[in-house]
Amino acid sequence: MNTRRFIVCLAAGFLLFAGLCPSAWAADSIKIGILGPMSFTQGEGHWNGATMAAEEINAAGGVKVGDKMMQIELVKVDTNEFLSIPDATNAVEMAISRNKVDFLVGGFRTEAVMVMQDIAMDAKKIFIGCGAATVEICTRVTENYDRYKYWFRLTPINAGYLGKVDFTLLGTVGAIMKKTLGLETLKVAVVAEKAAWAEGIVAAAEKTLPEKMGMEIVGIWRPSPVAKDCSAELAAIQRAGAHIVFTTFSSSVGLTFAKQMGELKIPAAAVGINVEAQKSGFWEATNGAGDYVLTINTYAPVKITESTLPFYTKYQERFKEAPNYTAGTYDALQILKAAVEEAGTLDSDALVPFLEKTDLVGTAGREVFDAAHDITWGPGYVTGLGTQWQEGKIQCVWPYNWEGITYEGTVPYKLAPWVVEAWKKKD
Amino acid sequence: MGLIFTHIRRFFTILRSEVIVLPGRLALVLFVIALLALPLFTQDLYFLRIVILTSIFAIFAGSWDLLSGFTGQMNFGHALFFGVAAYVTALLNIHLHFPPYLSIPLGAVGAVLAGLVVGIPCLRLKGSYLALTTLAFPIILTGIVFAIPGVTGGELGLSGLSRLSSSRLMDYYITAVCMLGLGLVMWLITDSKTGIILHAIREDEVAARAAGINTTRYKLLAFCMSGFFAGIAGGLYAHFMRLAGPSTLEVGLSFQVIIWSVFGGMVSIYGPMAGVFILNPLMEGLRVILGKYPALPEMRMLLFAALVLLTLRFMPEGFIPWVLDRLETECPRCKIRNVFFRHRCRICDAAMS
Repeated sequence: MNTRRFIVCLAAGFLLFAGLCPSAWAADSIKIGILGPMSFTQGEGHWNGATMAAEEINAAGGVKVGDKMMQIELVKVDTNEFLSIPDATNAVEMAISRNKVDFLVGGFRTEAVMVMQDIAMDAKKIFIGCGAATVEICTRVTENYDRYKYWFRLTPINAGYLGKVDFTLLGTVGAIMKKTLGLETLKVAVVAEKAAWAEGIVAAAEKTLPEKMGMEIVGIWRPSPVAKDCSAELAAIQRAGAHIVFTTFSSSVGLTFAKQMGELKIPAAAVGINVEAQKSGFWEATNGAGDYVLTINTYAPVKITESTLPFYTKYQERFKEAPNYTAGTYDALQILKAAVEEAGTLDSDALVPFLEKTDLVGTAGREVFDAAHDITWGPGYVTGLGTQWQEGKIQCVWPYNWEGITYEGTVPYKLAPWVVEAWKKKD
Repeated sequence: MGLIFTHIRRFFTILRSEVIVLPGRLALVLFVIALLALPLFTQDLYFLRIVILTSIFAIFAGSWDLLSGFTGQMNFGHALFFGVAAYVTALLNIHLHFPPYLSIPLGAVGAVLAGLVVGIPCLRLKGSYLALTTLAFPIILTGIVFAIPGVTGGELGLSGLSRLSSSRLMDYYITAVCMLGLGLVMWLITDSKTGIILHAIREDEVAARAAGINTTRYKLLAFCMSGFFAGIAGGLYAHFMRLAGPSTLEVGLSFQVIIWSVFGGMVSIYGPMAGVFILNPLMEGLRVILGKYPALPEMRMLLFAALVLLTLRFMPEGFIPWVLDRLETECPRCKIRNVFFRHRCRICDAAMS
């Protein structure tokens, strides 16, 4: 055999080997499918957070799996789940069966997440949820552990905990108003968008406010999630003499309501959930009228842990917006890295016990999973934040001396001057 | 033995003289063979999922055509039947542990009842008034779903249904055979005496009534039949996805079925079904292809809308009839269809020009 023929045979053999063993080449990277509605801000958050984490991990050498260092390869999985559940299932199935992802991270709409969860569990793939707050998704783990043990929820804190933070914020603002303005009984207007997820909060408010918090409900208003005018509701709230407006908004009505409330200078403090107020563009969108709005949040420029501020600043510099809670995919990748390095394998069954033992100080707090594989909430764990718009800046105002916790960078809550003026006059 | 041989010979005679001679029929036969033989070439879970969902939506689109295409009862809320059946199927399966072969037909019966509920108040309405009224029903039902979360699961829907079958391959054959079988049944209905009456109601209801036809009864029958077939699709969907949620009642689904049908070609049953088999995989393909380019995923719906608009502009009868009109021509004398390149009719030998 001459040299030329030998080289040709060697090259052909090499190509044949490469063609027959694609998995041998793919094995150098860990594939993580990032699931989210990528045309929407929630999906962008999923992708951006994961991208940052993957780049940082890869730059530091990758993930040590046994004796081998492996790079993270992200697979963008556009679930389009807001518009089509079948699209979401197709996308997950493709990620698992075609793209051969090792792990799944993300998801947003509960109905879609439950179906995607089933597909992931069928394939025994670890799925870290970073978007849906519904309690029932994690209840499945306790009800049928063997099947659903591969599921973990990292962000947000579940709907029950969100409710607790919601009422804690209301109580905090109520106490400040009582102290500052000398009010005896606080009057609260409950305003929640007409959506199914808000029903539980409204029902809880109807019971909790008068019975446990000593507050008087002056009325319940349920505008459409996409209302473009809330002046009628605001006029009624003003006439009812409300001191606080307890908001529950996840849609665009949050923007309309906050803008008109500020423009009309309604003498009441807006407290609660307003997803629009979590966005960086809220100030510009309300022409500054959204000042003093307080909402539950996950990230703010405060030192929840050592990694919060570097993450927040880097994210804002790179993507020109503040991270929303779906950017918790950043922490999800760190959790996976830690578990894989400890277990020394990518095998899902072997990884589950290590993920269950997760105790990681992430960007949103100390991250520990409970028996239902849900993120633990409370002092010393992930707490969530209360952020308020103050003179064009989003500021963390809660926790502030709550259970002994005040994150560095947290500022005191501020009452709008017209609220102070209105109620001080009446005294 | 001789009888069997005769039947085989007859089968091949029909195949040669009635199927192979017409591109439309040949394409249908090839499609059926390809659909049934596909798992021999690939059992990729993702690929099978796409075809399964496409088959389910094809039944749904055919059922819409039966009501709105053939009978002219423009239904803008067809997701009602799909959603009702999905929920009834889920409730029967989860609470009473009915297996899919019972829960799906009973879910379809639920959709038939929904057809009656919608059909009775809508009987006196026509055109846009009927369309808008039917549009309201799934929205009302969505409100009811959210109002009684203890029964319907509210926003989460009902999950944890048993699987359609024990394997994806079996799911594939169940949905494919159901689609082919129900498609054939719907086509036979439209080709029957009842179908002719439904067609007559669509063309001129007053004339049909003057001819002694109880149009009220037939319109109700159309609502119920359409509800039944859409219900089977809804039940299959619920068992395959293992979930019956509010998305099964979404307005988007009601419009989707209209788009599939208008694209494929209304008043044919096979047109809307073919429309689903073209558009559904196409949309999935676009999702995969455009997803590779960061700025393009938003273009998917734009491309989809452009495609539908172009179809409406240049193929007002729909894509399938447009293609068939180019591949087949009608004999001016005996009205039998012939392949486009024939100069003389295959039956009466008349000149085709």
